[in-house]
Amino acid sequence: MIKIVKRDQPSRAIFFFTPVLAIFLTLVAGGLIFFILGFKPFEALKFFFIVPIADKYGFSELLLKATPLCLIAIGLSFCFKSNNWNIGAEGQLTFGAIVSGGVALLFYEQEGFYILPIVILAGAIGGMLYASIPAILKTYFNTNEILVSLMLVYVSKLILDYLVVGPWSNPEGFNFPETRQFSDSAKLPLLFEGLRIHAGIFLALAAVVISWFVFYKTYLGFQMKVSGFSLKTAKYAGYKGKKMIILVFLISGACAGLAGVGEITGPIGQLHREISPDYGFTAIIVAFLGRLHPVGIIFASLVVAITYLGAETAQIFMQIPKYTGQVFQGMILFFLLASDYLLFFKIKFIGSKK
Amino acid sequence: MNTNLKISNVTKIYPGCIANDNVSLEFNSGKIYALLGENGAGKSTLVKILSGVIIPDEGKIYLNENNLKLNSPLDAKKNDIGMVFQHFNLFETLSVFENLIIDSDEHRESLREKIDTIMKKYNFSIDLNIPVLNLSAGQKQKVEIIRCLIRSPKVLIMDEPTSVLTEQETSELFLSLKKFSEEGILIIYITHKLKEVMQLCDEVAVMRRGKLVSVSEIKNENIESLANKMVGQNLKTIKKKKAKTSSDQLIKIANLNFTSEDPFETNLIDINFSVNRGECLGIAGISGNGQSELFQVLSGEIISEKNSIEFNNNYIGDLNPQERREYLMAFSPEDRLEQAAIPQMKIFENVALNNFKSSNFFNNGLINENKIKEHSKKIISDFNVNTDNIELKSQFLSGGNLQKLIIGRELITSPDLLICFNPTWGLDVGAINYIHETLIKINEQNKSIILISTDTDELLKLSDKISVIHKGKLSKIMNAEEVTSEKLGILMGGAN
Repeated sequence: MIKIVKRDQPSRAIFFFTPVLAIFLTLVAGGLIFFILGFKPFEALKFFFIVPIADKYGFSELLLKATPLCLIAIGLSFCFKSNNWNIGAEGQLTFGAIVSGGVALLFYEQEGFYILPIVILAGAIGGMLYASIPAILKTYFNTNEILVSLMLVYVSKLILDYLVVGPWSNPEGFNFPETRQFSDSAKLPLLFEGLRIHAGIFLALAAVVISWFVFYKTYLGFQMKVSGFSLKTAKYAGYKGKKMIILVFLISGACAGLAGVGEITGPIGQLHREISPDYGFTAIIVAFLGRLHPVGIIFASLVVAITYLGAETAQIFMQIPKYTGQVFQGMILFFLLASDYLLFFKIKFIGSKK
Repeated sequence: MNTNLKISNVTKIYPGCIANDNVSLEFNSGKIYALLGENGAGKSTLVKILSGVIIPDEGKIYLNENNLKLNSPLDAKKNDIGMVFQHFNLFETLSVFENLIIDSDEHRESLREKIDTIMKKYNFSIDLNIPVLNLSAGQKQKVEIIRCLIRSPKVLIMDEPTSVLTEQETSELFLSLKKFSEEGILIIYITHKLKEVMQLCDEVAVMRRGKLVSVSEIKNENIESLANKMVGQNLKTIKKKKAKTSSDQLIKIANLNFTSEDPFETNLIDINFSVNRGECLGIAGISGNGQSELFQVLSGEIISEKNSIEFNNNYIGDLNPQERREYLMAFSPEDRLEQAAIPQMKIFENVALNNFKSSNFFNNGLINENKIKEHSKKIISDFNVNTDNIELKSQFLSGGNLQKLIIGRELITSPDLLICFNPTWGLDVGAINYIHETLIKINEQNKSIILISTDTDELLKLSDKISVIHKGKLSKIMNAEEVTSEKLGILMGGAN
């Protein structure tokens, strides 16, 4: 007989084990799906998870996709750790990209070392502005940040659509929905000849280090944590709880905005309709898979980035729709949430007694 | 018609605790039964089993020899078991009538007749058409009782019904309960208040740590014997020495008003009082009469006019709690788990919530973990917190230990004034004694206390002066020796 018993204390070992378990279960379930579809499961999984990163180019692509995921997830971890459910990072990414793209277009055909920092900063500010909307509505008008931040995603995408089709579209672009190419000074430098990996990865790494430091070592981080658990306690301790909420939203918006900057000033170098394959939403999975811990988020962003690449290879070699990638992302989250049950409960196998 | 309710070998086990350990009890109608025990003794679990909220692991329940299957509260209702919970289950914005008929599928008009008959019979006077939020606590309880009576129950269970009532409302309730009992309803009365048991009940069952320890007739018991059974040890009684009267004023509140935007909060009207050094001012009142707002105004969670609070010759009305701590004030809020501490955080992190500057918990914006831990260890040993692991999440501390940690955290900075709100609410007798001793000690060190409490006995035991808060207004301040609990009861009910 199997009995489920509550743990006295959530297990720390299990805390780090469940993400691994979730990935394993995802692979098993994925293999099963491939099998049902009539593919050889092991071969299919190989195409999905190994072939895409087997060479130098593939590895660079992996880092390229992991960079925005990591950056956004780090930002989100500030929100989630303090119980603020910002699920609109996609919108903050888009708006950050719009603002920084706008600034980059202002410097069209200009060169100068000062341009790139301004463009990057503009992206961060754009993301912050956009994140401040749900934050202020939440703190001063008691609205639900989940709904507001989610709905704003679609608003930002429509704004982007309007801009690239209308006022900002390239005059020599044959009515393609895209802007002019940014000048080289407004672009993040590529790190290696022939590969698409760019300097944005340093932004992500810096975010990892800074967030670790702030959250675990500073008074500010402590106050954010307390405010997240209980605004009443924050008030009682004398912290400015509402300001903390706004602050975590701003941090998270800035990170998403920077991810947006990376997407448009990296290899692409212009604004167009589809700047992000839902990085902002996928990063939610990354944040939780990484246990909201900076180091965990690095690993999680790499794992989840593979699903993007794998979906593309699988489409090319096996004619499976690339949306399989999203199926895998969904499965990871599903299995993670399911195996989190083990954090609080343990399964006991009881012998044939009764 | 006779009703017989039998609980047979009921056991309910929760992880890490046996809430009911093989409990067997028998009740007969015509008598009022008390189920007595401290918090956590298992009485709530037992009545929740009787009312179908909790399903026992083992054991059976018989009503008039029929084995009952109580899998939901609905089953209990169908089997004529009515229950009035400590916390009301009413829809505040619906009218009294709507609340009464909400779980019934009978015809509205026939229900109205039924309700009218019940109200006439027991002398209840409540306007059926006003929303419940306009009722007093006593009236709300009557609504709950009527809701049970509509179904003409055989058994009526009352869970700590007097915790929100005034003295007068309590005696009214007792009269009604006696009447119900005469009419053949079996009454089970859950409480930890010994006086009430002596006043109301015929038989008493005492529970301790999940076990039934005794069943006896009231006429064979007295308050001391019941207390000892309840706690399982002989209690020493603490008494406060008469404080040396000091005329050295520490805090003065002058013309303080607070108007809330929240309709569920109470406005404070023209609050004036002062506390001298070494003195304990008790503030009595029925919960929900502005105590929470008064605490927040005093602690700085609600900012008021600068001049309205004078502490140690400084005007501090506009300072936040952290700034007030620097003037040597300390605060222990009512809600341990949602305000005074964060259960998900470790003990030492909770200690850091009192960020007194010279404790040096945070230097240049960085956390000084060693300092915090050092401090935490001292609190744990000085205030008898029963753990040696400061890395433990505080949710694993019992209520008593958590409260000791909180009081310890507030007192370790040697404040001149401690403001506490229901400091012993929900604690066991051992912990209550410890907290009371600690509070008395503070006064002996010539430091002051403002004690806001809904427990009249506690106030009479600890205070030098007492005032009563009612609907946001304070009564005049009285010397504790001149006050009796009856007098407090009258003031708490709003009379002069």
